[in-house]
Amino acid sequence: MGLKEVLKPLGAWRQIAKRPHTILVPKVSREAAERYRGFHVNDLEKCIGCGTCAAVCPNEAIDMVPVEGIEPKKGDSGFRPRIDYGRCCWCGLCVDSCPTTSLRMTNEYIWVRETPDDFVYIPGYHIKGFEKKEKGYRKDKEHSFTDYHRVPMRELPPEERVETFAEVVLGYAEEEARREADRCVGCGLCIAGCPDRMHIPDYIRAIASGEYARSVNIMYENNPFAELCGKVCTRRCESYCSLGHEGDPVAIRWLKRFATERFSDLKQVIKVKKAEPKDKSVGIIGAGPGGLTAAYYLALRGYKVTVYEAMPEAGGMTMAGIPKYRFPFPSLKKQVDFILSQGVELKLNYFVDQERFRELMKKHHAIYIGVGLMKPWTLGVPGEDHPNVIYAIDFLRKINFKEPVEVGKEVVVIGGGDVAMDAARVSRRLGAEVTIAYRRRKVDMPADHEEIEGAEEEGVRIWEKIIPIRVEDAPEGKVKLVYGKAKMVDQGPGKRPKPVLIEGEEYELVVDRIIVAIGQQADLSFLPPEIAEKMEVERGRIKVNHRQMTSVEGIFAGGDVANRVADAISAIADGLRAVKGIELYFQGKMD
Amino acid sequence: MEILDKLKEKFEILQSQEKREDLALVGTTEKDLIPLLVYLKEYEGYKTLVMISCVDWIEEGKFELVYNLWNPSKKHNILVKTKIPREAPKFQTIYKIWPQAEAYEREIHEMFGVDFEGNPTQHEELILEDWDDIPPMRRDFDTLKYSMEKFGEREPKSGIIIRKQISEQYDEWRRK
Amino acid sequence: MSKEEVRLFIGPQHPGVTGNMSVEVLLKGDTITWAKTHIGYLHRGFEKLMERRIYIKSFPLVCRICVPEPDTNEENFARGLEELAGIEIPERAKWIRTLVLELSRLQMFIMWYGGIAGSMGLSTPVQWGIGDRDYILDLFEELTGGRIYHIYIMPGGVRKDLPEGFEERVLKLMDIIEQRLPEYDEIIMENAVVQKRLKGLAKIPRDWVDEMGITGPVARACGFPYDVRKDHPYEAYPYLDFDVITEDGCDAWAMLLVRRREIDLSINLIRQIIEKMPKGEFLARLPNVLYWKIPPGETYVKSEATRGEFGYYMVSDGSDKPRRVHVNGPSFVHGITLLERLLVGQNIADVAPIMVSLQTCPPEMER
Repeated sequence: MGLKEVLKPLGAWRQIAKRPHTILVPKVSREAAERYRGFHVNDLEKCIGCGTCAAVCPNEAIDMVPVEGIEPKKGDSGFRPRIDYGRCCWCGLCVDSCPTTSLRMTNEYIWVRETPDDFVYIPGYHIKGFEKKEKGYRKDKEHSFTDYHRVPMRELPPEERVETFAEVVLGYAEEEARREADRCVGCGLCIAGCPDRMHIPDYIRAIASGEYARSVNIMYENNPFAELCGKVCTRRCESYCSLGHEGDPVAIRWLKRFATERFSDLKQVIKVKKAEPKDKSVGIIGAGPGGLTAAYYLALRGYKVTVYEAMPEAGGMTMAGIPKYRFPFPSLKKQVDFILSQGVELKLNYFVDQERFRELMKKHHAIYIGVGLMKPWTLGVPGEDHPNVIYAIDFLRKINFKEPVEVGKEVVVIGGGDVAMDAARVSRRLGAEVTIAYRRRKVDMPADHEEIEGAEEEGVRIWEKIIPIRVEDAPEGKVKLVYGKAKMVDQGPGKRPKPVLIEGEEYELVVDRIIVAIGQQADLSFLPPEIAEKMEVERGRIKVNHRQMTSVEGIFAGGDVANRVADAISAIADGLRAVKGIELYFQGKMD
Repeated sequence: MEILDKLKEKFEILQSQEKREDLALVGTTEKDLIPLLVYLKEYEGYKTLVMISCVDWIEEGKFELVYNLWNPSKKHNILVKTKIPREAPKFQTIYKIWPQAEAYEREIHEMFGVDFEGNPTQHEELILEDWDDIPPMRRDFDTLKYSMEKFGEREPKSGIIIRKQISEQYDEWRRK
Repeated sequence: MSKEEVRLFIGPQHPGVTGNMSVEVLLKGDTITWAKTHIGYLHRGFEKLMERRIYIKSFPLVCRICVPEPDTNEENFARGLEELAGIEIPERAKWIRTLVLELSRLQMFIMWYGGIAGSMGLSTPVQWGIGDRDYILDLFEELTGGRIYHIYIMPGGVRKDLPEGFEERVLKLMDIIEQRLPEYDEIIMENAVVQKRLKGLAKIPRDWVDEMGITGPVARACGFPYDVRKDHPYEAYPYLDFDVITEDGCDAWAMLLVRRREIDLSINLIRQIIEKMPKGEFLARLPNVLYWKIPPGETYVKSEATRGEFGYYMVSDGSDKPRRVHVNGPSFVHGITLLERLLVGQNIADVAPIMVSLQTCPPEMER
């Protein structure tokens, strides 16, 4: 150590001639990096108020609050996140877990206000001036906490399917189901989409954690046909799934199917609480899903229930209308047997006509009508009464009850709904070449898109914009469909375009069978005239109040005969609602 | 693992596991713990005490003391554990074997209320001054409740809807 | 306490870059006869908070256990969680993590290098240290979105991939820092004041090292080649070529030399990492983090922080929240057991340089 060590540090003075490393704030502003986690912005249109951001926030800085001008609707809770910047730690977990990617961060980090309240606000609603900033932390969909990819469902290959009536969908394996169930963020927006309001997030979470029995018990709280729904539900819930906005919605239907299929004996799994027996009795006409649901919950509440069914098996349309490759008979039997085991009496082959209806009125304290729609709509074209023109609903019933049906080699199915798809795919399995003729475009078809895809995979042709004109006889026991083509005429915003026949063009198609699947209507001829005149009917459906009671006291109705949605889950929902209605009616508290 | 076999011969081992190549885990009785630590230090080269920790197994009514030792020549860690009763918990100090144990024991005394007999400084406050509740790291100490009682509730905000209420509120809307 | 002695509290404000802690000393003249560490000025109950929240919510929390070097905590917690949950992380993620850890060490050492001079009243290097560290923070901002708290290392890998051209910018900055270092050396290492005060200061008896569990640069300054990166290689360290730095002085000057050489080592390692980093995926698919249950089990993971061995003892009881997370920072031993013994017999003016040399960090003592 010497003089050198004393003088050396003075070298620091060299820096005086160099450019400073600092910048002159506020004259010079420094833009933060591309990924900087600064103030949030939220796209209110895209946001669905699922609350995942609030759930993952480590500091409880995010509250979900109602926002003026945003009404709750299906798939949108109407709430929006409000962020308290006194608590926010800028970690960006909310951004990474936002299912719709509406929430993001800007690279803005300076914002000065005098009042602390200004730092608690709803991004996107309270405009703060940095909404337009493009830079900032954003969610990378493939590298985030949200798994947007559904676990694919295994199916029979199409070549094998057309050979057999075996179930097409093979179901999830346990590991697959748990992985799929684990994707659910638990927001509960799907519940609004379900007519029966099943507790979807709860039973999905139970599946994810491997508690299958608990899961099935949750389902049976408001749906005794969980397995049916697991197979053939129209699953409107999935269209409101928060993950569906940017990826695949959670496979709610397949998960329900997985959980229910694990148990072959429902009696051992489902814990029912039965009420004390009561002295009132209820007659239920029609053993469809709606009628049996009402029967099950009425029986649990202690009422005496008798179900009258015209067909030789219970199940209604799910028995007669849905082909067995979608809904095998043993599965239906298992569920119906469990319902019957709760003390429900079932009378099969018991067709209720006017006389019998009067008897039932005397015998029971309340009646529930769940007869469904059994009369097909006709095409309304000349020559329709040709013997080779058959109706899909009759066709499917005969197949399901194993009655002999002949379809020949070439079939044309008219219609675009699920029944049309079923008729087409069944015909395919009977060995026919099948064409579906629909008067609108394929995108307009009301059928489930998976059904349409399935039909096409199996070799069903789909012709769009076809309008039948008349049916003529053809040689060799065939039938000739004369049809025209349609053009789509725009009906203004928000309305479906209407198919209009292009005049002057006629085409012909010679086939073995024409299957008509353009819908069904109710057949209310069993109602005695004194009841029928009191009962209000609106556009072919029985009119009911919010408790499913018709305009005749003590007579309730539900399912396809009363609602316009006409699917199994809304029939189940109707049945459940009617139970509450019947109970209130018995107690004289009907509101 | 060699060391685990040796220990099994000499002491009562309730639980042993080889976690990784460089980490093993040994559970022993209250009685055997200190002899085991001394054995490891004197004969097996586990010269360094890395830390002492305590885990509250409130359901079993036990505290678990965890001693983490390191062998500098073999580059191996061993976690030695024992369970002591949660009611009036006490144990012997090891500060004469490793001086830093004094501070660790003092921390555990403060945070869990374990009494290390013979530790001269354990009653001195390490972190908490004028603490007036049960030792805070115990599982049954509720931080939120304590803070509410001590400092009052956070200013109530109007219209707060936390997530679990969303579906309920939403359901209400649906019923309309 | 005799009549000749004076009781004095040093702190709890920072005496340099050490954080809010206080040392109570008894003085006889200028000489310390007894010392006691008081902590608790920062207590934020990290360990308790972690027990009350789901795992993913702990990530914005663990990084706050050490302000200047948060990545060690993130990496340790993520690695422990991965071990408990049995998650394999992609190869690239390991390298990116190592890069972040080394950058983090580098900025910490540069700040410390200025800080040790600051503790002796030389204020120029402090400004330089803070200023040059900021260039590394700029890189962190670009990579992670945050300057101080990165919240970047997540279970399963890292949150985002490297931005385009990031490697070149890192290498460019390494060149700049390397050019700057001689200027630092000139005013710190070759400074008579520093040499005179640090040489022979805080002499640690060698047998204390193993007995007390002294780790990191302090142990290496006593000739013990203890370095978790070499002893228990984690992330991408097994693939990197380096030697453990040791000095024989056992005093504060040796600690300074070790840390000065660590800066060179870090720059070297960063260059190696960028050269060898593989391409590919950087984040493994995680279960749904909102409901993530970790199988029951326990583990102890550790890594080398700038101050020494940093360990996480994690216990899971099978629920979605940890049963116990014990954060074991090197400062618990350095700042309490070692500091209390080391201060005895020293001059009152040397308390700050000793604390800075041991690099005590109160947040990790009072998690």
